[in-house]
Amino acid sequence: MPSIRYREALKQAMTEEMIRDERVFLLGEEVGYYQGAYKVSEGMLDKFGPKRVVDAPIAEAGFAGLGIGAAMVGLRPIIEFMTWNFSAVAFDQILCNAAKIRQMSGGQFTVPIVFRAPNGSAAQVGSQHSHAMEHFYAQIPGLKIIAPATPADAKGLLKTAIRDDNPVLCFESETLYSVKGEVPEDPDFLVPFGQANIARHGKDVTVVAWSRIVNVALDAAAKLEKEDIDVEVIDLRSLRPLDTDTIIASVAKTHRAVIAGEGWPYGGVGAEIVDRIQRLAFDELDAPIERVQTMDVPMPYNAKLEQLVIPQAAGIVEAVKRSLYRA
Amino acid sequence: MAKLLEMPKLSPTMTEGQLTVWHKKEGDAVNVDDLLAEVETDKATMEFRSFDKGTLLKLLVPADSLVQLGQPVAIIGEQGEDISKLVPAQGAAPSTAAAGSKNGEAKEKPSTSAAPDTATATATPTATSTPTPTPTSESSAPTTATPSPDGRVRASPYVRKVARDRDIDLGGVAGSGPHGRIVARDLERAPATAPERALATRAEADDVRPLSMMRKTIARRLSESKQTVPHFYLTVDVDAAPIARLREQINDDLAAGTPRHEDGSDTPAPFKVSVNDLLIKACAIALVRVPQCNASFTPEALVFHRRVDISVAVAVPDGLLTPVVRQADRKSVVTIAQEVRELAARAKAKKLRPEEMSNGTFSISNLGMFGIDSFSAVINPPEGAILAVGKVRAEPVVWEGAIIAGQRLALTLSCDHRVVDGAVGAKFLAELRILIERPTQMLVL
Amino acid sequence: MVATTKTSSKKPEPVGPSPEARLSRLLGFYRQMLLIRRCEEESARAYAQGKIGGFLHLYIGQEAVAVGACAALRPDDYVVGTYRDHGLAIAKGMNVKQVLAELFGKVTGCSKGLGGSMHLFDAAHNMLGGYGIVGGHIPLAAGVAFASKYRQDGRVTLCFFGEGAVSIGGFHEACSLAALWKLPIVFICENNEYSMGTPLSRTMSVEDVSLKAGAYGMAKDRLFVRDVFDVEARVAEAVARARSTSEPTLIEARTYRFRGHSMSDPGKYRTPAELEEHKKNDTLAQARSALIAGGAGEKLAELETDVEREIEEAVRFAEESPEPTPDLLESTTYAGPFAR
Repeated sequence: MPSIRYREALKQAMTEEMIRDERVFLLGEEVGYYQGAYKVSEGMLDKFGPKRVVDAPIAEAGFAGLGIGAAMVGLRPIIEFMTWNFSAVAFDQILCNAAKIRQMSGGQFTVPIVFRAPNGSAAQVGSQHSHAMEHFYAQIPGLKIIAPATPADAKGLLKTAIRDDNPVLCFESETLYSVKGEVPEDPDFLVPFGQANIARHGKDVTVVAWSRIVNVALDAAAKLEKEDIDVEVIDLRSLRPLDTDTIIASVAKTHRAVIAGEGWPYGGVGAEIVDRIQRLAFDELDAPIERVQTMDVPMPYNAKLEQLVIPQAAGIVEAVKRSLYRA
Repeated sequence: MAKLLEMPKLSPTMTEGQLTVWHKKEGDAVNVDDLLAEVETDKATMEFRSFDKGTLLKLLVPADSLVQLGQPVAIIGEQGEDISKLVPAQGAAPSTAAAGSKNGEAKEKPSTSAAPDTATATATPTATSTPTPTPTSESSAPTTATPSPDGRVRASPYVRKVARDRDIDLGGVAGSGPHGRIVARDLERAPATAPERALATRAEADDVRPLSMMRKTIARRLSESKQTVPHFYLTVDVDAAPIARLREQINDDLAAGTPRHEDGSDTPAPFKVSVNDLLIKACAIALVRVPQCNASFTPEALVFHRRVDISVAVAVPDGLLTPVVRQADRKSVVTIAQEVRELAARAKAKKLRPEEMSNGTFSISNLGMFGIDSFSAVINPPEGAILAVGKVRAEPVVWEGAIIAGQRLALTLSCDHRVVDGAVGAKFLAELRILIERPTQMLVL
Repeated sequence: MVATTKTSSKKPEPVGPSPEARLSRLLGFYRQMLLIRRCEEESARAYAQGKIGGFLHLYIGQEAVAVGACAALRPDDYVVGTYRDHGLAIAKGMNVKQVLAELFGKVTGCSKGLGGSMHLFDAAHNMLGGYGIVGGHIPLAAGVAFASKYRQDGRVTLCFFGEGAVSIGGFHEACSLAALWKLPIVFICENNEYSMGTPLSRTMSVEDVSLKAGAYGMAKDRLFVRDVFDVEARVAEAVARARSTSEPTLIEARTYRFRGHSMSDPGKYRTPAELEEHKKNDTLAQARSALIAGGAGEKLAELETDVEREIEEAVRFAEESPEPTPDLLESTTYAGPFAR
């Protein structure tokens, strides 16, 4: 199996699906002539032409809505936001149109669309460009939310997303784009939604993570191994649907859970997971569920403060120990 | 430099103490010899005074906590000092409780089968109110390994599940988590060895039973009462013949009024009132007449209750409970009798709710049925008085110059001198005597 | 970039080859407009009776716009509208039964009673919905046109909105994209002079909405709605442009609503005199007069009886229809398994 970068895995997914299905097209800012703000779509304009790789002006509400309308009548758009931060101005389109049209129309219309973009912190990009936006969207029924952590999942999940008949939001990460990993070449390689991956098997504490933080959690697990603490790391892969079964089975084994992810601690995906664990595995818990999240402040620019605010392996190590009453 | 304040040894034999009241709160300035807290030891309530000058930065145990000797209870230092390094020590502290067992103290963890009554007692909601009428001479009781200040066993949900599955009595397991929480690793240490130890104990030594929740509450509350409430006792010996006759009349009438089946079969036993029921009614009326006796002492004020709610001590297999007959002054004696029967039955079945056992204004304890002539009872705080009732004694009495067969009843009133003075107690007993010896007075409220 | 400009003074093209044919077409238009008017009146009654809940925005007074515009379309052309969508739905061919049943929240409604008054959809008639967020549907309509161009299916999209939507970004972004990418769409601004309760003069610096097209190099047209044939002709011209050269047009249709913004609107922002003045120009009444003058009185009576019967049946149908069941909730939220 060839080892490729996360961004190439995404491109493979889009390319394969565009070859497979004429209705699929890519639209977003700088996706064509510029070759992608993060080079995810590099070379795609040459391959597919401007009809199917469409450079959009800076009008997120406009082109997000346009994608939704095109999807309603049978196309399968992939809308790239330069980052998820910029989706905020298109939030109404996703909230009120993409997620609602199927129900508002009594099931007559569906919206098979993919929105994708890098998400969360990058490197000193400051307050307005570092949002973890998945929390806002995961709350909305009618949407599906994926957050691949590895190149293989980036490809497999995105291909599944493009083939899905519902709006799917793909949360990538600028800091993952260069990560390399083995990725299957099979054009029908799909990673189903709602099936978490156990990235590391362990027996003492379950760490539930997604996207970039899966790697941080694995770092933490390696550190803890030296202290004889055996951590199980669950990579959620999709946040909605959420693989509750895998989480609960793991907690039933370890009796302790730590949720690690970017995003502010008030509510959000982490809180949702905590809720499911306490309801479905109450009797399995030996310690309060810990959460390691972005600090409850806007992202500072200063590099050291930024690192302080973002979830780190050390924070996960501490949380794991707290859950073991070893703090 | 911040430092931990540890539970000092305040009596020669003290191994643990109930920290009852904090006199300083977090952030307070503390001088040498300032009163920090009061501690109930096995001997008395002692003052815990500071040896240091500084600021009280953190309290590590709440008031009313049972604390092992040497266990940190607070952190003192300079205002604003970082105490994070000291705080985690708190989590480790409860292990001193577990360590205590190696001193040969009775901290065994018998399985449920070894002490079934303990298991049931744990389920009884006795925490709010358990006074006793009997003078108790509880020796320094062995504590369980779990130092939970309110007597509640703290355990993680997972531990509780395992305990249910494996029939482990958590009351005997030392918790190493925060606030003495029993966590999974505590079970790994505990249950494997506990049954053997319990067996060994029974085979060669005393029958040592861990404290039930009810027993802990009895021990704590009555110690507190006897130690903090200045009791005094007033005894009268009254003519019980009139009230005994009245009881017979009432019961005859009740029997006559009991419906009978047409075929005469299965006639239910007629309901009967007891002398005690009549005494409850009499006390209630006497309290209305002498409201100074229907009172509670609080540090701020004396509280004179406008309601007459009488706590009735009920013996149950492993202790006693005090269900309350509410507004006894306004209820007929038959109603009172029915309520007492019903409350007593549920008390024995451990079905009383906490609110049914709390907020009485006066207690009655009757040991007549056990052949006791007279005794004095321990006040049930915050009530101001308790009446101890002996048996109705058949003895010769002088009646208008002649010796006749009489019926006598000894009544002893224990009063909290802080709120009920001697003269008030005497006035109450005088009223009570009139009501008992001329029970028609009960109709003349 | 072609910026074709039309003025409202332009004479409408003759629509039919003969006066008879024109009269016959007018009968058809009148029937549709009457059906809409009666549907709205009965909706208002049902609302007052508590049979319709939520918001209800009536189209009374504006019927000629939807009817005339839809007459310029092929059945496979798309329409996208606002929350004031009952008239558009009926003009695009939807059955009144489906409309009223939806308003009554019944499972026989076009959206199974899950959408309500503001969200009428009908895939069979390419009615792509009424939308409740002002301006939010305009980019979406551009996307529908984008799909037509992508597939080269020759279809045109008509997007309706009020002048209130012209102030919001969605309108401008959609115009910008449609002009940039030459999308086969006609934007129809139904300027009924009030953005809810605020008059045009207090919401826009430029009263002539059609001027907005200039900024995007888009064709424009502006008309004061007097006559359903005029609407049809003007929209037909824009539709033809969209279909033949894939160019968008912005049409401003000045109209007037006779009722409040919604049922909860007391209408205090305009005078009774102003309303009465506008009612003199009621296109429905004028069409009726023209029919009588043209000698179609007998057919008219027949038609009106027929419309009454249709409305009566539709109300009964809506009343008697069952309500949607909870099992629909999840199955209409996602295609396929529910994602939780």
